[in-house]
Amino acid sequence: MNIILIGMNHKTAPLEIRERLSLTCGNDANHLAEIMKFPEIQEVLYLATCNRVEVLANAVDTAGAVEKLRAFIFHHGNLSAEEMARCLYLHYDDEAVRHLFRVASSIDSMVMGEPQILGQVKDAYRTAVEHNTTGVILNRVLHHAFRVAKRVRTETGIAHNAVSVSFAAVELAKKIFGSLEGKTILLIGAGEMSELAARHLLNQGVRKILIANRTYARALQMAENFHGTATDFDTLAEKLRDVDIVISSTGAPGYVITPPMIEAAIRRRKNRLLFLIDIAVPRDIDPAVNEIDNVYLYNIDNLQDIVDTNVKSRQREAEKAEAIIDDEVGKYHEWFNTLEVVPTIISLREKMEGIVKSELVKSGSWMQNLNEEEKKNIEILAGSIINKILHDPITGLKEESRENGALPYIAALRRLFGLDDV
Amino acid sequence: MMDTMFLKAALAVYFVSVLGYVTSIYVRRVMVAKVSTWIFFLAFLCHTISFIFRYLETGHTPVISIYETLSFFAWAMAGVYLAFQPKTKTRVLGAFVSPVTFLLMIAASKGLEGYVSIPEVLKSNLVPLHVILSVTGEALFALASFAGAMYLIQEGLIKNKKVSGFSRMLPSLSDLDRINHFCLMWGFPLLTLGVLVGSLWARTAWGSHWQWDPKQVWTLVAWVFYALLLHQRLAIGWKGHKAAFLSLLAFAILLVSLVAINLFFVTAHSFI
Repeated sequence: MNIILIGMNHKTAPLEIRERLSLTCGNDANHLAEIMKFPEIQEVLYLATCNRVEVLANAVDTAGAVEKLRAFIFHHGNLSAEEMARCLYLHYDDEAVRHLFRVASSIDSMVMGEPQILGQVKDAYRTAVEHNTTGVILNRVLHHAFRVAKRVRTETGIAHNAVSVSFAAVELAKKIFGSLEGKTILLIGAGEMSELAARHLLNQGVRKILIANRTYARALQMAENFHGTATDFDTLAEKLRDVDIVISSTGAPGYVITPPMIEAAIRRRKNRLLFLIDIAVPRDIDPAVNEIDNVYLYNIDNLQDIVDTNVKSRQREAEKAEAIIDDEVGKYHEWFNTLEVVPTIISLREKMEGIVKSELVKSGSWMQNLNEEEKKNIEILAGSIINKILHDPITGLKEESRENGALPYIAALRRLFGLDDV
Repeated sequence: MMDTMFLKAALAVYFVSVLGYVTSIYVRRVMVAKVSTWIFFLAFLCHTISFIFRYLETGHTPVISIYETLSFFAWAMAGVYLAFQPKTKTRVLGAFVSPVTFLLMIAASKGLEGYVSIPEVLKSNLVPLHVILSVTGEALFALASFAGAMYLIQEGLIKNKKVSGFSRMLPSLSDLDRINHFCLMWGFPLLTLGVLVGSLWARTAWGSHWQWDPKQVWTLVAWVFYALLLHQRLAIGWKGHKAAFLSLLAFAILLVSLVAINLFFVTAHSFI
């Protein structure tokens, strides 16, 4: 194997360096062309996101290719030698494959399990394919990586459960209401986190949003942003009758929502469930309202606890994912080993002989009328047909392998004759 | 004898589905629960076939003896659950329904070998109708109480901020409340009709519509609770916690009438 992976991510390089590199590089296909000019490199994939820059290459001459790639990054990132030594990582062969699998499966992401990275890897691969910079080896590695990512996603809980406060609020709302279609939110006060939560809820099909603020003008302005309705702060108690979810984050020193307000509202709303989210510090909603039937109150600490638990559970799931990746790296390695000429010839023969054997068994019923010698002759005939058919491909393969270009032929042969289907 | 054969097959397949549902909770995979639902359906089919054979072989609607009734109860509950499963999309409810079905089937299978002769007094078309209506209503109430129990569990977890573990397995509060409501809406009229048909028959058999027999009294008490619950839901707009709790309480009373009375009391309502 001559696979090299060189790159930097959020763990090894500070933001400013990643910035510099992704600004000049981006996902620009010109760089693919530039890298392909290095004679040491046969295939290349270039991936740049806001958290990472990675170059995956299949090289003819590993050492030379690494030098060229370093120089390439050095040049484009405008890095000092010291910075480069600190930020860049370099993986070979199995380890390079493993790194790619981990990246695609989102184990290496800043927010573990986030779904975007797989799409970014796919985009990078598409660009590479369009510019014809991938071949037998990288095609196989990338397709394998997509499969691994899918397997990790379905077999582990790495992408389950919210890892941000605003998403945790959405998950809770779903746990209470099931679908959020047609529900109404009341947003009290302003604040980054509460507005984010409101946006997430709107994305889930919430129908209507009411906005209350001490300063009515601010409420009007936010209402415009959210396509909602501004409402008077003094009529909050009345509004509680009609809404399903309340997100509160005012700067008020005392409670804005009290148990008597909620009790009165619950009676008027015929016991429909009410979910209250209190993001404010100091708190806006009297914790005693959680004791009221059909009312569920979560404050910022409660939500943060959920997020912490979820982060821990994703980390546990990551261990399972690592095991899957180990397994898949092993499979890739096995496949790679089959790319030798001799094993391919052997499995090709075995496949043919297997076919003959099973056809003879199938024909057993009419062949029982033949005598032993006739049966033997049929077997010999079948065997010599195989030999004749295989003669040209095998000779061709051997010739190509002497000229060191057999890989595509082997891969094609294995694919066409289905030698990798187990 | 075909009926017992299919009954045994149903019993075995129900057992497999119970294992499947339990596994699905343990491994937390929807796929396992889906497969379990299909297995449960297969068991239900075997069970249905067993009823048909029993009907053909005995010549009476097989809901007369207590064992037949238990089996029918299990069948009705499984049927109602399966019928509404696609709508409610709460496969985890199967993890409640399938073990109860299986246990009922074990109890039923103890007395279903061979046939009993039916007393002359029960040879009326009203009797099977009475049993089918009442038992289907009661099976719906059983499902309502499962949904109610799950509601109370899920609600307790949400109120106490323990939403990271078991809570994930349970459906949302609104879904559970809807199932509870639905089963109540259908169970109540069925049980009511069942009791009315029973009293029509009682007139011909006992000479009076109502005997104040322990079984009748307890059923009446449970019926009153259900009537109250239905009223609160429809007229007052009860939802959620209180409704779930009352549906559990009412079912507990119904269970006394269904099980305890036949075992521990002398009742005019026991025939075979």
